[in-house]
This record gives sequence, structure tokens and C-alpha cells, in this order.
Amino acid sequence: MSVLPFPSFLDDVKEKGLKRAVFEVVDESVERLTAGMNIQDIREALRGEAPSRKPNPRLQPHADGFWLHMRPSYFHSDMTGLYPTFRLGWLSTYFVFFETITGILLMVWYTPSPEIAYSNMINMLTNVPLGQLMRDLHRLGAEAMVLIVALHMVRTWVTGSYKRPRQFTWFTGLILLVITGFLSFTGYLLPWDQLALWAVTIGASMIEATPPPVVGENLNLLIRGGPEIGANGLLRFYLLHVLALPALLFVFTGVHYYKVIVHGHSLPPQKENIGEDTAKRVPLDKRVYFIPDVLTSELLWVAVTTLILVVLCIWFYDAPLEHHADPQVTPLGTTAPWYFLWIQGALKLGDKVFWGLIFPGALLGVMAVWPYIDVTASRRFAHRRFALTLILLLISFVTILSYMGLPEFGVVTAADTAIIHEMTYPPAHNHMGKLLPVPYDQLVPGMYTTSEFSDEEITLADFNQEIETIMAPVALGSRVQSIEANLLDELQNQDYLVVTNLNFAPVPGDAPELRAAMEEFAAMVASHDKELVNAWGGVIITQNQADLKRIDVILSWDTVEVENGRPMLDADGNPVLVRDAEGNVVRSQNIQHIFVHQDGGYFSN
Amino acid sequence: MLQGMIFPKIENRILVGVLSFVAIMVLLGWAAINEGGRMAAFEQTFHARSIEQGAALFTSNCSTCHGSDGLGGAKGPALNNPQLFGYDFYPEVTKEIGALMTEKADLQTEASRPATTPERLAEIDARLAEIDARIEELDAPRRQALQAAIDRGYNPQRPSRLQNVGWAGTTESFVLTTLIHGRPVSNNYWSGGGMVAWSQTAGGPLRMDQLEDLTAYVMNWQRDWTLEDLFAVRQFAIEPVDPAPLRAQIEQLQASGGVIPEPVGTAVRDILVQLESVTGDPARGDALYHGTGGARSFNGTTLGCSTCHLAEGVAVGPQTGGTYSRVLNERMNDPALAGYTPEQYLVESIVLPNNYLVPGFQGLMIANFGQNISVQDLADLLAYLKTQQ
Repeated sequence: MSVLPFPSFLDDVKEKGLKRAVFEVVDESVERLTAGMNIQDIREALRGEAPSRKPNPRLQPHADGFWLHMRPSYFHSDMTGLYPTFRLGWLSTYFVFFETITGILLMVWYTPSPEIAYSNMINMLTNVPLGQLMRDLHRLGAEAMVLIVALHMVRTWVTGSYKRPRQFTWFTGLILLVITGFLSFTGYLLPWDQLALWAVTIGASMIEATPPPVVGENLNLLIRGGPEIGANGLLRFYLLHVLALPALLFVFTGVHYYKVIVHGHSLPPQKENIGEDTAKRVPLDKRVYFIPDVLTSELLWVAVTTLILVVLCIWFYDAPLEHHADPQVTPLGTTAPWYFLWIQGALKLGDKVFWGLIFPGALLGVMAVWPYIDVTASRRFAHRRFALTLILLLISFVTILSYMGLPEFGVVTAADTAIIHEMTYPPAHNHMGKLLPVPYDQLVPGMYTTSEFSDEEITLADFNQEIETIMAPVALGSRVQSIEANLLDELQNQDYLVVTNLNFAPVPGDAPELRAAMEEFAAMVASHDKELVNAWGGVIITQNQADLKRIDVILSWDTVEVENGRPMLDADGNPVLVRDAEGNVVRSQNIQHIFVHQDGGYFSN
Repeated sequence: MLQGMIFPKIENRILVGVLSFVAIMVLLGWAAINEGGRMAAFEQTFHARSIEQGAALFTSNCSTCHGSDGLGGAKGPALNNPQLFGYDFYPEVTKEIGALMTEKADLQTEASRPATTPERLAEIDARLAEIDARIEELDAPRRQALQAAIDRGYNPQRPSRLQNVGWAGTTESFVLTTLIHGRPVSNNYWSGGGMVAWSQTAGGPLRMDQLEDLTAYVMNWQRDWTLEDLFAVRQFAIEPVDPAPLRAQIEQLQASGGVIPEPVGTAVRDILVQLESVTGDPARGDALYHGTGGARSFNGTTLGCSTCHLAEGVAVGPQTGGTYSRVLNERMNDPALAGYTPEQYLVESIVLPNNYLVPGFQGLMIANFGQNISVQDLADLLAYLKTQQ
């Protein structure tokens, strides 16, 4: 008889003994938690044995549990291999969770304000154990997710899985692709470095093209929070990134998954008769039950994929972080994130409204309704030559457009600017100016010139003599004085370099890397002989502080007439020189300086 | 093959999955163990890059006043300067003198008490004399060694800039704070006013991270200072002068019927008339020009013209050597200066330096010399410049 007015655990202990009573409580709890499987059921499942009781307890969690009601209780055995899914849909979902978890960890260390966002990044990298790894994982995961989701879409197209009855599944998938792109894009801005600011500025500028102008301007203001991306814009992008877009993503992921339950996985095209959809009619001998086979397989892939990502991020990948965002300084060769490069490339084809908005909009529109246009019954490859050709053309087209989006294509940069940039630019996209990786010790203070490496036989003594004696103005109407005096004027008065004369010397023998950089400099100057006539480059290295060197890079050349960014040529194919009223050739010069600290880490990187 | 499940056997899936999970944990643990070193290395690299950024900002924004090498100039004191970092070249001397000064103050307090007996007073006086002698004995060699810097305003008894302005924080916070809100000072100390505020918060052009970069750059001048570093400083910070002794001197002068010198002002014609009745001393002019031997103008200003006008070569202004020849042979031929006498040209160049500029130079010269020199000072300077043929 119970000591309490109702049956209790103590009664059980009295009746069955402690061990037995505890086991029963645990067993019952497990069954409640799994919505149907007790310890014995789980043990059998994991041993690969058949279920020992009926009804099959392994189907119970799908019927009664919340989480597994979104998963089919069995798969067709033709769907469990790599083909036809390549695990792409599953991987996409994996990344949704992976990005959510790493993202929440990063949120702990982040404040969306231009004042401190960048310091947060630095803090995360210098002061938070595993902070860099979390950031790397989140960034790599984001880039991978965009790629995986896009590949998932391509695969669905190729196997014709968007066909009836899965038209709407395709449609939600397309929305998920767009959301993934925007999630990645909004996250791009958050580190608040130069890469972020300018990539997003370019991306967001397309919004401004929306016609009519009043709509475009206001949309632009709405998304950026001002004429330029600043505190408001950062906060908006942050809220989109952590709140609005993830909310939409989860909603549409739910819909997408529910549709898979309703319609089942579409089988490989050749396994079905044309026009049939047998996904929901899986013969008993073809059933692979979710518990235990698919579940263990998925858990295996969670572990393996995470391991791959961790290995990549520990040894092979670091999320980029450039200098603090600076709206005043536009880096040369700014691009949108790679997955939007195709739009940037399309913009180079012409009209901003058409190529920036109508074209991508129409492309997505056609993709969205494609299942309702392509209503042919067959999913067999042989019967879908048009659709397969179309997707290959589309892939090629987007690849070509993406290439066109690169700064290498169709952007005319003055040769002198490009060359000096090539010598000095700060690390970006895992590349840097040629002078930066020269070991600190090899940056021997002195003055060096590309003339040392030119084909013309000229001694440095003669060269030094020449720049002292050749007289030229630096702009029409300016004073005619020696090339050296022109350069000194600019070095002293605009670049504040303490230097009283130019005297170039050979690159020291024990500085092979500096020599290599100078040789590359010389080769670049020589390869632009149409724009940079009688050109030579110089490098002046000075000790600025005990562990800090200053490098001034000089380019001096005879000015030529330029048309549309390209040098004008006369009948003989020679460039036309600019001359002042007295017939003097006008000399141009471009000087930039950078600083390199002993611990700058450019060399070891 | 593509259609079969990878690891078809459940036990293999469990095994590989568990191994992968263990591998992840081991890797994370291994990474965590190495985080200390990784973070330190990153911090070092980031600090180095911050210095590089600061150097670029310094060159474009600060070097005109503080000098490209940070050694100071007409408009700003040196930052590459042991004084800013509070380096004392004679710490033992400072310590001993400090102790003696404390003892001296204590004795003086004791002497002023009515209860002090005459015998004790005599003892105190004797000890005070001893102390003064000892202080002089300690200080004289230091003064002698540092004379070149003292001539330019360095005070060996107060070698720390931070102490002089009563700053309780670190040098770093001093530099950063100064950058943020600038340093509003009287025109009597620095021509063209003080330093502007550089932070956007205080109405300036730079962001906080840029100011932090600049601070990192300035702090990177910290090193084991040598006397050469001290002597290389072109311009020390200017400390306000205690007006009390000056007032006493003026009163003394007035009592003895002397004339109080007045600044020449900027009325060039009047100045030229006054100059007719004054004879210049080229030697004193030389000393004023170079700020040597403690030479100061009538109101105690160290002029230090040679900071910008080097004897040879071009720094900020035209070189000193050959000034007078150039005025006679080049400047007087400039049609814009028709009707000028060489003397008028020089006077105007000193008191109104921006009225015209020698081609190739910027208008960087201080425009307050009219307030800081007397007619006699000016005459001495002119006499000296006329020796620069």
C-alpha cells in the first residue's frame, strides 16, 4: 500500500526492487523523449537488427514526434546513394544549422556599429580563444552554402525533379537560393573593413537603378540608411542578417521540407516510367528506413563534414580582414562578392536598369515559373535535350558574366596607377603589392631604379646625370626644370619625404627579393611602352622609425595624348607626345608611398 | 557505385562517425591549446600594421607641423622626443636633488616657526647653505652636458612632459587625448594658434581607429634614448612662463628710469623709420637667429629661425647662407617687388611673412614675430642677415 494517496515510485521500488524500478523509469523517459522508442528499440536499431515488437516502434517518432515528422520514415533505396542527390539538399540544410550555430557564437562578440565593429573583429582575432576559427568556419560555411544551394538547384534541373508534382517545391527552393544569396551578402558588410564596405557599396548601388528614379533613390536610402552606408546601413544589414532573413529562411526551409514529406524524393529519372511518380509507392524490399539507416548515415555526414570544415579552417583557410572601412578611400579593382560578380559583369554590357535589374529579375522570374512552362512529362535525359542545353548555356553564360565582373575585364586603369598599385597595394583577396613580401632585412635603405634592369645599356651614373640634365615641365604651363627637380618638388612638398637629391644605386647583392620585385617593376614599365614613353620607375627606401621603413615608389614618363583611356597613335603606330608651347615634351610623374613594419607579417604570410 | 550507400554497414557508419567526432574534438582542443600563441602573433602583426597606417596618416596630416622625422618644427613640438616619453638622462641626480629640495623645504618650514631657537636657526642656515652648494654641484655638470638642449627650451630639472602638464595617465593616453581634442593654446606660444581637434567627435576629420593608429605610430618612437636623440630635437614643448619674476623685473626697470621695450608690430613703414635710430649687433642677431646661448627676444621668446632656415640646404624655408646676396640679386629683380629696398624686404618678410613667398616654398612661417621682437631685436637680426652674403 502506498504511503502517498496515489501510486508512487516508492511503491515500485518496494515491489520490484531499486534497480528494476529505476530502469523502468529511465526506459519510460527515453520512450517519451523519442516519441516512441524505448532503450531496447534503440539498441536493436543501432545493432542493425529487425524490430522485436509490433507495431514497428521506429515509425513512431515520425508519427508522434515534432522533429522527425519533417522527415520521411523511409527512403527509396535508389535515393540513399550519392546519385542522384549528391547530398546537396541535405548539405544545404546542414549549412543552415552550421551557420546558425557559428553565427550565434560570433554575435556574442559583435556590436553593429561603425565605431567598434572593426575593433570587435580585432578583439575576436587577438583576444577570444577560437574566435578566429569560429569566424573562419562561419565565413567558409557561408561561401560553401551559396555554392551548395546553387548546385542543388542545378541538380534538380538536370534530373527534372522540378516536374509535376514538385513545381512548388522548386519554387520555394528558388526563394531559398535568393535568401541564401542575400544572407551571405548582408553578412559581408558586418566586419566593417574595406573589402566589406566596397563590395556591399557596389552591390547596393544596383538598387539605385530601380526605375523610376524616385523609387530607386528611396529604395537606396531605405537599404543603406543614408546616402552612404554608415551607422544606419550597418545596423540594417545586421538586422537583416541575424533576424529578418534567417526568419524567412527557416519558414521556407520548413515549407520545402514539408513538400518532401508530401511528395517523397523524386527517383532517378531512368527508374520510373515516363510520366509516373512512384516516390510515394516504395516497394517493401526497396525501403530503407530512416531509423536507423538514414539517421546514422546523416549523423555520420554531420561529423565528417564538420571535420572537413574544421580541418580546412585550421590549416588552409582564413576569413579575409582588410583595413578598417574608409568611405574616403576607394580601393582599386573593387568587386562585388563572387556570387554577385555575374551581375557586375552584366552591368558592363550596358544599361544599368536593364542589366542590373531587369535581366537578373527576369532570369529569376523565368526560373521560378519554369516548372509551369516546361510541362513535358518525361524526366529522361534523352527527352530533355532543350532543357539540358539551356542549363548548360545558363551556367556558361553566368560563368562568362562572372569573369566579366572582374576588374581585369573592361575596366581601363591608367598604366601608371595600375603599375604603382601592383607594387604597393595592401593585402586583399590573398594577394598584395610586390614590395610588401620582400623580407624586411632586404629592404635596404637607398634609391633604386628600373633603369638598372632595362634593355638599354645605360650605367646608373649616366642615368643619374640624365635626370639632372633633361629639362621638362610637369604640366602644361608649369616651370621647365630638370626631371630630378620636378620629382624632388613633389617628394618634399606633397609626400613630405626628407630628401635633398636623387641618386640611384644598384640593388645590393644580398637583397635578391628586392631585386626580383624591381625586375618585375621594370618588366611592367617596359610592357606599357605605348602609354609610358621613356619611362622609368624608382624605389626610395628610407628608415622611418627603428623598426619601420618607408618606401616611395616613383614613376616618371613622357606624357602621351590619351583617348578613352588608351594612348593615341600616329600613322606609324607611335604614341603622340604632349608638348608645351615651346615644344618641350611634358613629363608626367606619379609617386606613392607605403610603410612597412618589421612585424608586418607580409613575408611569412 | 554512386547509388550504393557509402558505408553500407551500420557499424561502419557509427565507427567512422564517432571517429570523426573525436577527431573534431581533438582538433578543437589542439587549436585551443595553441590559441595563446596564435593570438599573440596576430596581435603583434596587427600592432605593426596599425603603426604602418599611423605612419601614413602622420606623413599626410602631422608632418608639416611636427616634422617628417617627428623632431618638431615652427608650429609644433617634437614627438620623437625623450621629453615626451619622460626619459631622464640623469635619474640619480634628479633623485638626489629631489631629496635635497624636500629637506630644504622642511628646514625652511622649521625655521619659520616661532619656537625655533636661535641656535637651531644657525644650524639650519648652515645646512641650507650646504644643500644649495650640493645642488649646484650636482646640477652644474648636468647643465653643462645638456646645454645644447637647454638652449632650445629643455629643462633638465623637469625632464617629463607629462609631469610638467600634470598628466596622471600614460604617455599613450596623453597622445591619444591630445589627438582627439587638439590643444587650444595662445598665439603667443605657437603661431597660428594651437593644434586642431583631429577626432570626428570633436569636429575633426579622423575616425577613432585612425587616431589609435596615429597613437601607435607616435608611441613607436619610444626606445632607449640617447643624448644624440635629445640634441636632435628641433623644438621642445613650450611651457608657459611664470609671470611673477618678469613683473618684478619690469617694476625694477621702471623704478630705475629704464624704458620698457615694446614689440615692433607689423607696420613696416613705421618700423623702417624706427630702425634708423638703432644700431644692430650682428653677434646678438646670430644668437637670436640660432637660439644659442639662451638668447631670447625682449619678451623672452626663443626665436630659433634656424630650425627652418638651415645654414645649408632646404628644409622648410630658404637656406640661411647667402640670404643677403639672394635678396640683392634675385628677389630685388622680381617685378612684383619693384620699389622695395633690401631692408624693407627683409623686415616685411619677418613681420608679415605671408605677404609674398619665395617661389617653391609654402607659407609655413610663423606670423607673430611682430609681437615677439623689439626694434633692437629686429635690428640685430638684420645686422646678422646682412653678414650672410
